Amino acid sequence: MNQEVTEQQSQIQALIDNIETVVVGKRETIELTIVALLAKGHVLLEDVPGVGKTMLVRAIAKSLDLDFRRIQFTPDLLPSDVTGVSIYNQRDMQFEFQPGPIMGNVVLADEINRTSPKTQSALLESMEENHITVDGMTRDLSSPFFVLATQNPIEYEGTYPLPEAQLDRFLLKLKMGYPVKQEEIMMLDRTTHEHPIETVQPVMTQSELLAKQEEVQGIHVSQSVKQYIVEIVANTRKYPLIQLGASPRASIALMKAAQAYALVQGRDYVIPDDVKYMAPHVLAHRLQLTAEAKFEGKSDKELLEDLIKKTMIPVERG
Amino acid sequence: MKLKLEQSNRLVSLALYVGSMFLLMEWVYPLDIVTDTGQSHLFIVFIVVMFALSLIHLPFGLISVIKIGILLLFIHHVFFDTAFFSTEWLKLFFEEMVFNVQESVQQNWQTLTPVFRTFLFLILLWMLSYLLYYWYVVVKRPLAFIFLTVLYVTVLDTFTVYEANIAIIRVFSLSALLLVLANFHRIVESESLTEPKARQFIKWLAPMILVIGISAAIGYAAPKYEPQWPDPVSFIQSASENGFGSGAGFGGVQRVGYGEHDDRLGGGFQMDDTTVFYATASAERYWKVETKDVYTGHGWERSSEGERIASETGQFPEISQYGDVVAREESSLDLQMIEPGNLTKVPYIYGTEQVGTTNDQINFEYNLVTNELLSLDNGDQTLVEEDYSIQADRPDFPRNAMREVPVAYQESSGINQDYLQLPENLPDRVSNLAGMIVSEEDQNRYDYAMAIEDYFSENDYEYATEDVAVPDEDEDYVDQFLFETKRGYCDNFSTSMVVLLRSLDIPARWAKGFTGGDRAFEQDAFPEAGSDVFEIQNNNAHSWVEVYFPDVGWVPFEPTIGFQNQVDVSTGESIDDILDDNQDDALDQPESSEQPDVDNQLEEGEEENDSEAAGTSDDSSVSPWIVISISVIIVVLVGLLIYYRDRLVYAWRKQRLKRHANQATITESYQFVMKLLAKKGYPFKSGETLREYAKHADQILDGRSMSELTHHYEQFIYREDSFQSDQSEYYRLWKKVTDMILSK
Repeated sequence: MNQEVTEQQSQIQALIDNIETVVVGKRETIELTIVALLAKGHVLLEDVPGVGKTMLVRAIAKSLDLDFRRIQFTPDLLPSDVTGVSIYNQRDMQFEFQPGPIMGNVVLADEINRTSPKTQSALLESMEENHITVDGMTRDLSSPFFVLATQNPIEYEGTYPLPEAQLDRFLLKLKMGYPVKQEEIMMLDRTTHEHPIETVQPVMTQSELLAKQEEVQGIHVSQSVKQYIVEIVANTRKYPLIQLGASPRASIALMKAAQAYALVQGRDYVIPDDVKYMAPHVLAHRLQLTAEAKFEGKSDKELLEDLIKKTMIPVERG
Repeated sequence: MKLKLEQSNRLVSLALYVGSMFLLMEWVYPLDIVTDTGQSHLFIVFIVVMFALSLIHLPFGLISVIKIGILLLFIHHVFFDTAFFSTEWLKLFFEEMVFNVQESVQQNWQTLTPVFRTFLFLILLWMLSYLLYYWYVVVKRPLAFIFLTVLYVTVLDTFTVYEANIAIIRVFSLSALLLVLANFHRIVESESLTEPKARQFIKWLAPMILVIGISAAIGYAAPKYEPQWPDPVSFIQSASENGFGSGAGFGGVQRVGYGEHDDRLGGGFQMDDTTVFYATASAERYWKVETKDVYTGHGWERSSEGERIASETGQFPEISQYGDVVAREESSLDLQMIEPGNLTKVPYIYGTEQVGTTNDQINFEYNLVTNELLSLDNGDQTLVEEDYSIQADRPDFPRNAMREVPVAYQESSGINQDYLQLPENLPDRVSNLAGMIVSEEDQNRYDYAMAIEDYFSENDYEYATEDVAVPDEDEDYVDQFLFETKRGYCDNFSTSMVVLLRSLDIPARWAKGFTGGDRAFEQDAFPEAGSDVFEIQNNNAHSWVEVYFPDVGWVPFEPTIGFQNQVDVSTGESIDDILDDNQDDALDQPESSEQPDVDNQLEEGEEENDSEAAGTSDDSSVSPWIVISISVIIVVLVGLLIYYRDRLVYAWRKQRLKRHANQATITESYQFVMKLLAKKGYPFKSGETLREYAKHADQILDGRSMSELTHHYEQFIYREDSFQSDQSEYYRLWKKVTDMILSK
C-alpha cells in the first residue's frame, strides 16, 4: 500500500475523531461530510432542528482552522444578504464592497428552503461556479469553500422546495438522525460543564486540506469502475419507478465522491465498493420518482438500493 | 454410494433416470446381431435390475451385496448347469476367474473365456448405472451420453451389419424427451418455481411427447436422399482406384467385392455398399461372371486360359447350351455400370443368348472354358458407361430329368476329366464325409447334390464374415472348414460343395459373380423401369456351385446358408411327379426358413487380393467388439473427464498462471475460483462487490484467504497496476483457496 496514502488516511481519521468529540455517535455522517469536503463538493443536510447540524459544521471549521460563516435563511432574505453588497463610501467617494457571509471558507446555510428561490439561487450558483458577481464585478470565493446547507423536511409549512436543478449542485444529501440513547447520555455528560465545541483544537491546516483535495483528484479510477458508475447512473434513467433519472453531472459527482471515499479508506484507487457505498448519498436527491412510487411509499434510497443490487459489478479489467 | 432422489425434483429425476436406462439398452440391442453374444436379452434384464436397485434406498454395503448376488445369478444362469446354491459351480467359476486373470496379465486376450468376458461386461453395466445416475440425476446433463449413443448406433450401422433404422428413431425420441425434461428441470430451478405435481407434470409433458412423436414420424416418413457419400470404409481404402476404365487396378486391401484372385481363400472381410451396377429384372437373378475348375487345396485356379470366341452381333448361343428338356422363357434385361471397381467382365444371367451395347467401339467375346463374357475396346477388357442389354432365354431346370442322371455317368465329352479334379493331398475324411452325407439318398446326381447343398444348414455350420480362418500352408481349405471351423461365407460353402461332389465323381465347378441384389426404389439409371430395377453392390459379390447334368447342362446350386438359389427349378411333367416332388420343394429352399433374419447384406464375395488377405484377415476388419469396447472406453473416459474436470482445469490453470502471470491468466484464475464456488452453491450475485463476495466465501472456507486473494485481485483490476511484485503472493493464495474449495 502506498505509504503517502496511508499517512493521508490517518490524518483524515484524526480529523474525524476530533469532530466526533463534538458530534457524538454520528461517525458515518461526519465521514461523509469530510468526503464531500475532500471532493470539493457541498452537502445538503435534511433533518429536523436540534440534531447537531450546526455543531457539525462548526466542529469541522474549527478542526480545520477555517473561517466559519452562517446564513440563516428567512423568507425576507435578499440575494445581497448572501453575496455582499457595494456601499458608497462617502469619505473615499467610492463604492466599497462589503462581502457577504458567502465569502467564508465553511458556510452553514441554515434552513435553505425557507427563503425565496431568488435568494436560494444566489447561493447555489456561487457554489457551483466558485465565484460571485456583484455590481458587474466578479469576485472569487475563498478556498477551500464548503457549504453545508440544511433544510427541514419539505412537508413542513412555509417552505420553498429547492428545484431539481439546484439540488443537483449538492454532492451529497445526508441525514443526521437522532442519536441513540447511550450517545445522547454521553452528549449530556460532555456538555455538563462546557460545550465541547469551545475546546476543539485544529488538527489540520488549511494548506493540508487543500493538498488533500488535490490528492483526491489523483485517485485512480479504472475503466471498469467508470463503466460501473455510468451503468448505475444509466440505470436510474431506465428504472420504471423513476420519472427523471440522474444527469451526467451525477456521474461526475459519483466518481468524485468515490475518489474521496477511497482516500478516506486509505486507498489510492477506487473499487466498486466505494461507488456502491456512495451511490445512494450522491444520487438520491437527484432523482424524481413517479407518482406510483410515491403512492407506494417507496423512498428514493430504497429504489436506489434495489437498482444497485441489479447492476452487475465488473470483475475484469475494463 | 447411496443413491437418493431429492424430494423436490423426484419426478423429473426418475423420468431422466429411466430414460437413460433405455438409452443404455440401445447399446446392448446390437450385440446379438454384430457379435456372437446370443443372449443380449439377459443383459437388458440385468440393466433393468441394476437401475431398479439403484432407486431403492438401502445402505451401500447391502445394495452392493445384493447386486453381486444378482450378478452371480446371471453368470450361473448362462454358463452353469448345477444348482445355484452349491459350491461346485462357484469353485469352477473361481478357477475360471483365476485362469483369466493370469491370461490377462500375460495379455493373452484371445484366450479369455466367455464367462470372464460376460462377468466384466456385467460389472461394466453395473458401473454405467452409477455413471448415468450421476449424469442424469445429480448433474442433469444428458447431452454427452445422448451424443455418444447416437455416435455408437450410427457407427455400428455404418460399419457392421446392424441396421439402426428403428434404433435411431427410438434414440431420437428418447433423447429429445430427456433433453426436454432436463431443460424443464433447469427452468424450474433457475426460476425457483415449485415442482409441479404428477398430474400437472403429465399434462405438461403430453404436448411435448406429441411434438416429439410427430417430428419422429415426419422424419421417418419423409423422403430421404440416398447416401451422398460412398461407403466410408471402402471409400477411404479405395479412393484412388474405383471408376471406369481402371479395371487393371487391384486393391491391396480386403473388402467385399468382385475380385479375380481366388488362389488363396479365407479370412474375414468388410461390408461395402458401393453400387457396382444397376440392372432391370423382374426378380433376383444370379449375375454370373466366370467359373473356375481347379481346386488347389487353398483356392481356385484355371486349368487353361480357355478358348475365346467372338461374335459380330453379340450373339453367343454357347453361353446357354441346355438340353431340350429345359424349358426356356424369353427375357430382356439392361445393365448400367456404376462403380465396377475390379470387375472387368460383363455379368450375365443364366440363359443369356445375346449381349449388346450402344457404344460402337465395343466388341464382345465369350470364353468357352471360363464362361467369361468380355467387353473389349480394341482388345482391352473394359466396361463402358453405356447400358449393356442382354437377351436371354431363362432356363427352367427340370428336376425329374435331372434325377434320372446316374451319379457317376460316363460322359463321352471331356467333362469328367476337367471337372472331377481334386488335389492329391485332400484328406480322406472329406470324401468319407461326402459318402456319409449321401448314404441314405436315392442314387442319382440331383439328390446327391441336394443332400450336400442341405448338409451345411442342417449341421451347425455358421455363416460369418469375420473371424473366418485362413488355412495354413499344410492345411486344406475345405477340410478346415468342414471339420474344424465350421464357420465361413460363400467361398467356404461353395468350394466345399464342389469338392464333396467331385469326391463322389459328380462333375462340378465353382461359379463366381453376384447375387441379384436389392430392388432400387430410388435410382436414375433406368427411370422408366419403375421398381423392376435391382441395385447390385459389392456386398452382393458371391460364389456358388454348378453341377453338370447330361442333357440338361450346368445347373447352379446354392449351398451357402441364408441364400436362395436364384434360378428356376421346376417339378416334372406329370401330376404324380408333382406329388412326389412336394417333398423336394421343401428341401429346395430350406435356408430361407432357417435363416430368416440374414438378409442380403450378409452376402459376400471374394477378397480382392487374397494373398495379402491371408496374412492380414483379422486386422483389416473392424470387429464389432472393438467398436463396442472403444465406445465403452469413450463413455468411461468422458465420464471421468466430467467428474474430474475441475481438477484437470485446475492443474492446467495452475501451470498457466505459474508460467505467465498476465492479465488473461490472472483473470481466468480468479474466475475459475468463482466458478468453483458457484458449483458449491455460492454464485457471484448481481450487485455484489468482490469484497462482499469474498467475505461470504470466507465464511464457508473458514479463513480469510479468499478476502486476501480478492484484495490482490482488486488491486490488479481496479488499480490497473502491473502486478509485478505481488505475483507470487497471488499465486500462493490462489492455490490455497482453490485447494480449499476442491476439498470441500
